[in-house]
Amino acid sequence: MAHISIRNLTVEFKVYGSNSRSMKKQILSQATGGRIAKGADDAMTVKALDNVSLEIGDGERIGLVGHNGAGKSTLLRTLAGIYKPTGGSIEIDGTVGTLIDPAAGMDPEATGIENVYLRGYLLGMREREIRDLIPSIAEFTELGEFLNMPVKTYSAGMFSRLGFAISTAINPEIVLIDEYLGTADANFQKKMVQRIADFIDSVRILVLASHDEHMMASFGCRQIAISQGAVTRV
Amino acid sequence: MSSPKNRRTVIKASNVRAQALADLLEGLVKPQLWWHFAAHDIKQRFRRSTFGPFWITLSMGIMVAALGFVFSQVFNQPIDIFIPYLATGLIFWGLLTSVVNEGCTAFIQSEGYIKNVPMPLSVHYYRTFARNMIIWLFNMAIYLIVYLIFRHELSWAMVLFIPGFALFCANIFLMGLVAGILSTRYRDIPQVIGNMLQVVFFVTPIFWSVDALPERPALVALNPFYHLIEIVRAPLLGAAPAPESWLAASLMVLLALPVTAWLYRRAYARIPYWV
Repeated sequence: MAHISIRNLTVEFKVYGSNSRSMKKQILSQATGGRIAKGADDAMTVKALDNVSLEIGDGERIGLVGHNGAGKSTLLRTLAGIYKPTGGSIEIDGTVGTLIDPAAGMDPEATGIENVYLRGYLLGMREREIRDLIPSIAEFTELGEFLNMPVKTYSAGMFSRLGFAISTAINPEIVLIDEYLGTADANFQKKMVQRIADFIDSVRILVLASHDEHMMASFGCRQIAISQGAVTRV
Repeated sequence: MSSPKNRRTVIKASNVRAQALADLLEGLVKPQLWWHFAAHDIKQRFRRSTFGPFWITLSMGIMVAALGFVFSQVFNQPIDIFIPYLATGLIFWGLLTSVVNEGCTAFIQSEGYIKNVPMPLSVHYYRTFARNMIIWLFNMAIYLIVYLIFRHELSWAMVLFIPGFALFCANIFLMGLVAGILSTRYRDIPQVIGNMLQVVFFVTPIFWSVDALPERPALVALNPFYHLIEIVRAPLLGAAPAPESWLAASLMVLLALPVTAWLYRRAYARIPYWV
């Protein structure tokens, strides 16, 4: 049984201005008793998540909605273990897969096949598992001989097909998705929608952050609204 | 991503710091990440060049030959002594500086991974470290060639290279990690360190030898980098390093270990926000 339990989760971090990261300011502020470089610590503390509590049970599909900067991505990243909380706790039962940036770790200079390996390693796969995947990825992406060419020669659509194909080759119990997974031409769009639907069917819990309410509805998502780092509507 | 065996993940604000040291270990046991990416870095750097990574060896060879012929004249040293000395010193100085300098940007350059892909933070540093170890291996070919040409006798003191190299690596590993943490927070640090190392290169006996001087300057005995180079250079040249060099290098590790651990614990949770 997959389950996510979020209790009083708070994430705060300091955002440093363009200049305040420099040591000069800190040293100056020491040397001058903080007079010359006043505001050396002009960092603003941002409360990205404020006392969020949520229970997500087995089989649930959650759609996070909210304005830009509301905290959707921060919540996903914190669930993924990327951002560390400053308050509260998260308990997750089940293996977690993340699709926050399907192109993360892809190298435009490397070939399609090499990128399949790079992305595969990042997704936690072993060399053998990736090798076994290649035929199905080649078939799905219809890239053919292009897989042996550097990714920088790809069109935007080809590039996103490849990233998408590898990213959805994982098989976790819980999946965290940020925004929709890229663009494609009309022909390919259908294939992609089918694959994402199959992918989402295979997981126990989906947490999706998106602005596309239509897509959320098609996955049967329960919507959770986030505003200024707090859950406003469950 | 958690492995299938370990299905339960607990993230608590109260034990984030305690996780920091576990992260160093979790990263280490994921060689499929750092090793493959380090190897990819090397491959990428020399893609489509004819010699490929052997350019590393070639440029070190050119450097050793050029500096060797010039400075053996300047310091009036026999070439068969000076060139092996210079080659060994340059190879290990190169390893030290590249681990520290590239350590500075280990986290900064991995921003795309750190922010988007869940994996132990330390993986990014291991990748940088592993990449420089691969480069070092290519450079060691120059040592072998030089040794075959100019020396070719074996000595028991060479066995001391094993503990010496272990101690050397422990030192540069910690230096690079500290540099990486500080640089991510303070963006002036990479410049400061780069310049400092340049100065240290000139005051450390690497392209000049203590034997060439009428008396041993005090700054050599007090220079920690001299001792660090000595514990690997001396054995490779068939001599045992001086006891004070072993002592200095060991003390440095013992000192750096708690400092690095303390710093990593403090910075661990914040690095994703700093990059």
